[in-house]
This record gives sequence, C-alpha cells and structure tokens, in this order.
Amino acid sequence: MTSARRLHQLPGLLPFLVPALLTGGGVALPLLYLALRALEADPETLRDILLRPKNLELVKNTLSLLFGVLLFTTLIALPLAFLTTRTDLKGKRLFSILLTLPLAIPGYVGAYVILSATGPGGILPLPRLEGYWGALLVLSLITYPYLFLGLRAAFLGLDPSLEEAARTLGVGPLRTFFQVVFPQLLPALLSGYLVVGLHVLGDFGTVSLLRYETFSYAIYLQYSTAFDRVYAAWLALFLLLFTGGLLLLEGTFLRRLSLARTGKGSGKKARSVRLGRFTPWAYLLLLLPILLALVLPLYALFHLASRFPREHLTGLWEALSHSAMAAIPASLLAVGMAMPIAYLAVRYPSPASRFLERLGYLGYTVPPLAFALAWIFFSLKGLPFLYGTLPLLILVLAFHFLAEGLGPVRGALYQVPRRLEEAARTLGDTPARAFFRVTFPLLWRGAVAGGALAFIGAVKELPITLLLAPMGYSTLSTRVFGYTQEAMFAEAAPFALAIALLSAAFVGVLLWSERRF
Amino acid sequence: MQLRRFATLIGLAALGLAFAQQQTLTIYSGRGQSLVEPLVKQFQTETGIRVQVRYGTDAQILAALQEEGSRSPADVFWANTAGALGQAASKGLLRPLGDTLLRQPLAFVPASKAWVPVTLRLRVLAYNPQKLKPEELPASILDLPRFAQEKGLVGRVGWTPTYSSFQDMVAGMIALYGEGRTREWLSAMKALNPKGYASNPAMLDAIRAGEIDLGSTNHYYVVRFRRAGYNLGLHYFKDGDPGNLALVTGAGILKTSKNLVAANRFLTYLLSPKGQQYFAGTVGEYPLVKGVVADAHLLPLEEALAKSPQLDFEKLPLDQALRLLRELGIL
Repeated sequence: MTSARRLHQLPGLLPFLVPALLTGGGVALPLLYLALRALEADPETLRDILLRPKNLELVKNTLSLLFGVLLFTTLIALPLAFLTTRTDLKGKRLFSILLTLPLAIPGYVGAYVILSATGPGGILPLPRLEGYWGALLVLSLITYPYLFLGLRAAFLGLDPSLEEAARTLGVGPLRTFFQVVFPQLLPALLSGYLVVGLHVLGDFGTVSLLRYETFSYAIYLQYSTAFDRVYAAWLALFLLLFTGGLLLLEGTFLRRLSLARTGKGSGKKARSVRLGRFTPWAYLLLLLPILLALVLPLYALFHLASRFPREHLTGLWEALSHSAMAAIPASLLAVGMAMPIAYLAVRYPSPASRFLERLGYLGYTVPPLAFALAWIFFSLKGLPFLYGTLPLLILVLAFHFLAEGLGPVRGALYQVPRRLEEAARTLGDTPARAFFRVTFPLLWRGAVAGGALAFIGAVKELPITLLLAPMGYSTLSTRVFGYTQEAMFAEAAPFALAIALLSAAFVGVLLWSERRF
Repeated sequence: MQLRRFATLIGLAALGLAFAQQQTLTIYSGRGQSLVEPLVKQFQTETGIRVQVRYGTDAQILAALQEEGSRSPADVFWANTAGALGQAASKGLLRPLGDTLLRQPLAFVPASKAWVPVTLRLRVLAYNPQKLKPEELPASILDLPRFAQEKGLVGRVGWTPTYSSFQDMVAGMIALYGEGRTREWLSAMKALNPKGYASNPAMLDAIRAGEIDLGSTNHYYVVRFRRAGYNLGLHYFKDGDPGNLALVTGAGILKTSKNLVAANRFLTYLLSPKGQQYFAGTVGEYPLVKGVVADAHLLPLEEALAKSPQLDFEKLPLDQALRLLRELGIL
C-alpha cells in the first residue's frame, strides 16, 4: 500500500483514529509519570539502584516464574479446551463453566487459602506449599482460564472445512492437528500468553504471600516500606522492559498469521472425536483443576465466613453496589476503547497501529499504584473538577484494564473475513459504516468476552480504587483489604466471597457470549 | 444548546463539591477501615461534623499527599507509624499543633510538634507454646540467635524484614547499640536461615501451622490471633530492650486544611477517654492517657511504657537501617 493511498484513506478512518489515539494517550500518561519521577534520581542513587546485586536475582526469579507459568497453563488449558469442545464427553457445557470459574477467585485469596488450608492445623492434610512451586501452582491455577477461554473460542471458531480438506487429502489426525489446527490456535494461544504473562509480571499479592521475590514484589515493597517514589519508578521501568519484550515477541509471531474462514460468515460445526475407553481419564483431567482452583478456595472461604459475626454484614450490600457501579461502566468503556485500537491494528497493520495496540497492553503492567499516582498528578493539573469523582475512577480503571478487552476483540476480528467489509465498502460504505453494519455483528462475542474479563479484573483491583474512588466510597476489594490488613480473615471472607460470586456471574456472561445462535 | 446545559450542570456540580468540601472534615487514614471506622462514626454523631475518610496504607497515603501537593483536599493525616508522620513533617506537609493537644499524651510527643501520638503498640516475641516454655525464652532479643542455635531452631525462626515495624526495630537497635552490634545481630539471625514473611499474620499463621516456632512481631497481632481462638505464646523481653520497641500511631493536621477547628476537634477526640477506651478495648492497643480500662490480653499501661527503650521515635535512623538490611542482602 503506498503512502498516498494511506493518506487518502485517512478521513474515513477518523472515527477509529481519534478514540484510539485518545485511549493511547490515557495509557501513556502513567509511563510519562514514571519517567518524570525516575529522572528525579541523583546520579549517586541511580548508580546504587542500577548496580544492586539483588536486581539479578529478581530478574532470574521473575523470568523463571513467567516461563514456568506459561508452560504449566498450556499443559492445563490446551487439553481442557480440546476436551470441552471437540469430543463426545457429556456435560461439556457444565465443565466449561466450572473450568472458567477459577477466574473469579482473586489471586491473593487463592494464595491465602492455599497457605491457611495446608500444614498442621489446616483443613487439608497436605504439606505447606510456598516459594517458587507454591507461586507457580497458585498463579497457574488462577490464570489458566484466560488461556482456556481463548483456546475454547478458537476451537469453536475453527473452520472445519480446512481440517476436512486435510483429512480428505489423506493426512493423519495427529498431523492434521499440528499442521492445520494448531496454527489456527496460535492467535488465541499468543494473546492468552500475553494476558497470563502480564498477570505474572504484575502480580504481587500472590508472590508476597507465598514468599517468592519478583520484580513487582520489589516495587510493591519499595512503595510500601521506604516511601521511595524514585527507586520504585526505576523498578517499574525495569518491569516495563520485560513487558515490552513480551509484547515484541508476541507481535512478531502474530504478524505472520492470516486466518479466516474459507467461506461464508457463519461456519459449520466440527465433528466430535469419540473418546471411548479414555473417557474416565478425560473426566479426571477435567475435575482436577476444578477441585484445586475452585472447590478448595470456596470451601475455605465458606469455612472462614461461617465464623463471622453477623452484625458486620450491613456493609456488604453497599460495597457490592459500589463495586458494580465502578466496574461495570469501566469494563464497558474498556471494550469501547479496545475496539478501534484492535480494528486499526488488524485491518490497517502499520508500525503506528501496532504501536498503539502494544501500548494498550503495556499500560496493564504499569504497577497499579503508579498508575493511580500518575492520575492523581495529572488530573489535578488538567482536570481538577474530576478528581475524587466516580467518573475518574471509571476512566482510569478502563485505561488499566483495556488490555483484558483487547485480546478477545482482536481474536474475534481475526476470524471475521476481511472480504465482507470490503464488499460493504464497494457498495459505498465508509470504513466506520462498514464496521458497524458488517463486522460488529460478528464481533460482539469477542466484545462481551473482553468486557467480562475487564470487569473481573476491575472488581478485584485495589490500589487504583483506594486512591481514586470518591471519599468514603468503599468497594468489596477495599473492604477485603481493610480486614486482611488487620488479620481479620473471618470478617474479610464474606466480602471475598462476594467478589468471587459477582465475578462468577460475569464468567456466566462470558460463556453465554460464546453460544452460537 | 445541550452542550451548554451540560456545562452548567458540571459547573453546578463542581460548585456543590467545593461547598461540600468546606463543610466536611476530610481524613486520610493509613489506619485500617475495619478498625477505626466505628470510632469515626461515633465522632460524627457526637459532634455533628460530617467526616469523609480515604483509607489506604501509610505509604500510599503519603505518596498520594505528595502528588496532590497544594491541591490536596485532606485535613488530617492519621497514620499507623511514626515514620510516615515523621516523613510528612520533614516534607513540610503538616502544620504545628497547639500545646493543649500536645499535653494530652503521657509520652512520645515528637520534638517537631507536627503530630500527636494516639496509641502505642509494642514489639514482642510470638512463639509456639507447645514447643517452647515461657521461662526458657531469652531476656533480650540480642540473645535470640544464640538461644535458637542452642535449641536447634535453625530454619525454624520467622521474620518480616520487609515490614515497617521490623525495620523500625532494627533502627532502634542502631540508635541504642550502634551499627556494628546491629550488623552482628542481623548476621547471626541470617545464620539461623530464617524464613521471611511478607506480613505478620502470614508469619503467625506459619507458627500456628508448625512451619516455624517463633518470630518477632507486634503485640496486637498475637492478641487478635488469640481472640480468634489460636493458641500462640506472647513473650516480652526485659524492660528497655529493643525487642520491645514501642511503635507509636498518631495523627497530624495538613497545611492544606481549610477546616482547622474540626480537625483539632477530631485529634482531641482521639485522645479523649472515649476514643482511647475504644483503642484499648476493640483494637487491642495501648492507650496514651490515664484512666482507661485495659484489655485482659494487655499489660497495665505503666508496665507497658517501661518495656520499650526511650528514643526519639520520629528520628529513628531508618535510612541507616534500610541501607544495612540491603547491604546484608536481607532486603
């Protein structure tokens, strides 16, 4: 495509470009803030910061946890996604729901539950899990659903005619899987890896409880103990280098792919694989993660909540509605922001559009506390009337959780054939009109999935909510924080349960969006 | 047309907000919501002053206050640690308090007069009473490494090097005995191959679970675990030992405050018998005024005050302690 033609397209693309650029700006502001703070360091301190021997250990720990979790989640999610979409097992729908529900368990709850439930005196007769293996297990168990969902959607959206063509040509089932099916799963796998990776890099709740030191843990400590904003900014910039690397890798892989259905807009269903004598093993495989990642935490939470004095329950309803009032608009906004960015990146790939999309992901690993501080700083400078209001909280949550929406929307876009839009364009539609008439109806599934994920992220988010919510606006997550901070776990349990149940409702929305009509 | 109506609405809302802010007392609290909210509500009903609170950790609040600068809506900074208040004072965020207020507490009033101490917490040793007897425990925290070596407790000692109160204790040790002896103590502790925990509840839970046998912590965590029905031992070292270091909570008034009268009334209320009784009862902390009935889990106030070494808590050499901890690879 020549640059002259590009220029010519520009006016038609404005409805996408303007919101995409505004969103990019919103995500970039915290990066600017970190740079501002980092530059406050005097050279002496800077040398100390950069040359600390501990940094190397942090790098090593962060990387080994990252790759461990990616491997482990693949081993869990890939077979599960296959079993729940392409086989003759009974209750596939129910299993899909149960296998996605661990998303609803906040990481810090999962970690605390694993810790308090194991070891002598705990409710489970298991040795205490901690350190690398504990962190690996807990993080894998709470993040594999991201991969599972993406892979499941990919299996469901696969065009079976490609496979059938391969089989007709005499290619065996295994080779067909690796040569025809697997490449089609790659976008889902990669965007799943991205979200899981970002979770691992950004998590501090789980690793701090399980005593494993990674970069984001070090950042958290720096903010919370030494009151040192400058050093913390440097650490956050280091962390962003990791994220940047991850994003670059994923982007390079993804660029080589072009995937769409061969024929019409709605595909036909693939045939089921008969499992035969493997059926019991398949069920066992499906049950294991459900038991570990869902039943155990819920059991422990109920166990704790049962010791809880009832008179404290009055705040529950208020916190629940506050959480919903912040997280629902934020997730809608996040998907709204994700759409133009994903559209430009997929339909008009260029260094600029790719950069904008990567930026959306990058914002997600800016430590949330830094994200919040940046917005305090900039909103008081530019939009003082917004400071301390619910709209600002919603806006900032949307910027931060944009990445959760980007993946599903992008994945759905890849599966909408470009030719449909082109046909609409030939009939005289502008790109925006073609998008809303043709692409959007095929995209809504991805949009709902992205929105549900953004909601689940936003409802358990803490530092941004603490610092940017209107005064006295307490949500479920701030209440959980308030109680656990003082070691009042029984009191925290009903609020944590409410987070889990509310998120579970949105997992339901997510799965419902996958249904085909 | 619609745009103008919208702009008018926003303008009105902003005016309303500005007006509301004149009328209400805004507190930034590093103290946990679950602990102090009932007291805040009590203050509100008794005085008729409308109060709004932003909760967070000391560090989050301090960082937010600095980012807000002169535009901060906060009137009062209420903190868990003297360290955070000292930082706020040295960054010029707090305004000096009146003598009437500063005369109330029995001890720990800072030289800067920028904030007032509200309650007292003590460092203590928590242990598993099924494994260790109270009479055999050491009289000073300095002897803890030798004691643990003798009892074969290598790998069974917990600590929380990243927690502010632990760092305060190390700073207190430096202030009392100098950096050399503190470095020796830390090295001897490291030789015990201690398990590091991110929080005190996590460490106490590890004692409960039998993963470790003892660890230095803050007294109220043990009190809360005991109230929840867990059997944990609580040991005080001898009077004046850094292992019993006093940790002072307090509050100050911000320079940005436009509600000085209400802010002063709030601080006065915290130090009133009613406010102090609340802390001694529900929260399990030591009051700092006389005539308050203590909890059964607590020592009498005079005994508690004698436990801690007497130091200028606002000026603990915290930077030196952090440098030392980093140098030894503990942080």
